[in-house]
Amino acid sequence: MEADELLVLVAGGDQKAFEKLYGLVSGPVFGLVRRVVRDPAQSEEVSQEVLLELWRSAGRFDPGRGSALSWILTLAHRRAVDRVRSARAAGERDQREARRAHHTAFDQVTEEVEAGLEREWVRRCLDRLTALQRQSVTLAYYDGYTYREVAERLSLPLGTVKTRMRDGLTQLRKCLGGVA
Amino acid sequence: MSLLARLFHREDLHSLAAPYALDALEPAERVRFEKHLKSCDACAAEVRALSEDAVRLAWSTAAPPPVAMRDRVLAAVRATPQEPGLVREHTPQLPPHVWGTQPPPARSRAPRERRPFFVPFATATAAAALVVASLFAVQANRTQDKLDAAQTQSREIAHVLAAPDARASTGKDTRGRSIGVVASASEGQAVVTLSGYGGLSSGRVHQLWLMRPNVQPRSLGLFKGGDTPLVATDLNKSATSLAVTVEPDGGSPQPTSQPIVQLALKSVGFGE
Repeated sequence: MEADELLVLVAGGDQKAFEKLYGLVSGPVFGLVRRVVRDPAQSEEVSQEVLLELWRSAGRFDPGRGSALSWILTLAHRRAVDRVRSARAAGERDQREARRAHHTAFDQVTEEVEAGLEREWVRRCLDRLTALQRQSVTLAYYDGYTYREVAERLSLPLGTVKTRMRDGLTQLRKCLGGVA
Repeated sequence: MSLLARLFHREDLHSLAAPYALDALEPAERVRFEKHLKSCDACAAEVRALSEDAVRLAWSTAAPPPVAMRDRVLAAVRATPQEPGLVREHTPQLPPHVWGTQPPPARSRAPRERRPFFVPFATATAAAALVVASLFAVQANRTQDKLDAAQTQSREIAHVLAAPDARASTGKDTRGRSIGVVASASEGQAVVTLSGYGGLSSGRVHQLWLMRPNVQPRSLGLFKGGDTPLVATDLNKSATSLAVTVEPDGGSPQPTSQPIVQLALKSVGFGE
């Protein structure tokens, strides 16, 4: 059964359907959260919150507005970004940066194991973007920076960053469109 | 043009669609943009398309979650009620204020009865899930200045939930009011919520106590009112129960009245 059908059953209080849904989406949710949050323990906490929120608010999912997986990953991304920003605000940034070297190695191991078609396509399509488009998009999406922070880091005007983000996303759509 | 004026400028708001889709707006900007979205159909369509694009970036990140996470999430799900959906006719089993949709009910005028009889349930039930439910109510309701507090609390609660020995329990009195707890004996932590006790007259607070055999009650803190859960730390393993009393503002060093509710902790791993 697809995530969309399961989510509708979950909205009706079906715990068995939730177990199946967990099987389908826990990997994408956890992977995305960990990519943004980095710290494994915190990633697990955020993922748990997201999955529980999924159970609670499944009734808010509107199938007319997109796929269940999109809805779920959008929720997961929002929560992951909130967490990474509050951690930064709390001054944990340095600690986190120090951990990064370690986790990059960990990421690579996982990537080797899972080197799936989708991963390869995304990477290929990201490679086709201009450097500024790619950096603007990935600093925001994978690292949780606001567009103002991205502008600062890349020493670009705000307007330029906004445009690069839009162009980058549109190019990705063209490149990845066929594999949806 | 001032920064603020620019932010409100329509053209400029449009250009925020891509950063919005990437979750790259600051919270205040996000709120402003979402307000704008409600009145701009073209923007909503564009944001939807850009958001779908952004989600493609998540395709490449899937990774197997820790095995133990599954049991924890499924246990939490069993203990957590759902919020009403968009179209489903569903009456929440909890008072509306718990969901954050209404202010807490006015103080009940009913005269104080004899001490109610409480039935503790060994397993997690809907009332125990108040802990989790009210956490999300807090989040849904949060205003900007409450953001940090809500996040800190959410982290503390997630921490308790994440403990391998986290257990839920609940007590209900004859009038349907309840106390819910999710506790971890190994962490010595618990998240406690009250439901149905309404507001107190000014100058009075609900105070939580830890009860141990042959030891005076120890204060675990004051409930902030409404649906806000109380996170209690440094719980002794020998604790036998939790108790709530009504105390003067600021709390008391020792209880000055009969508990209005008590909950045994044995089923959540305490009392050795």
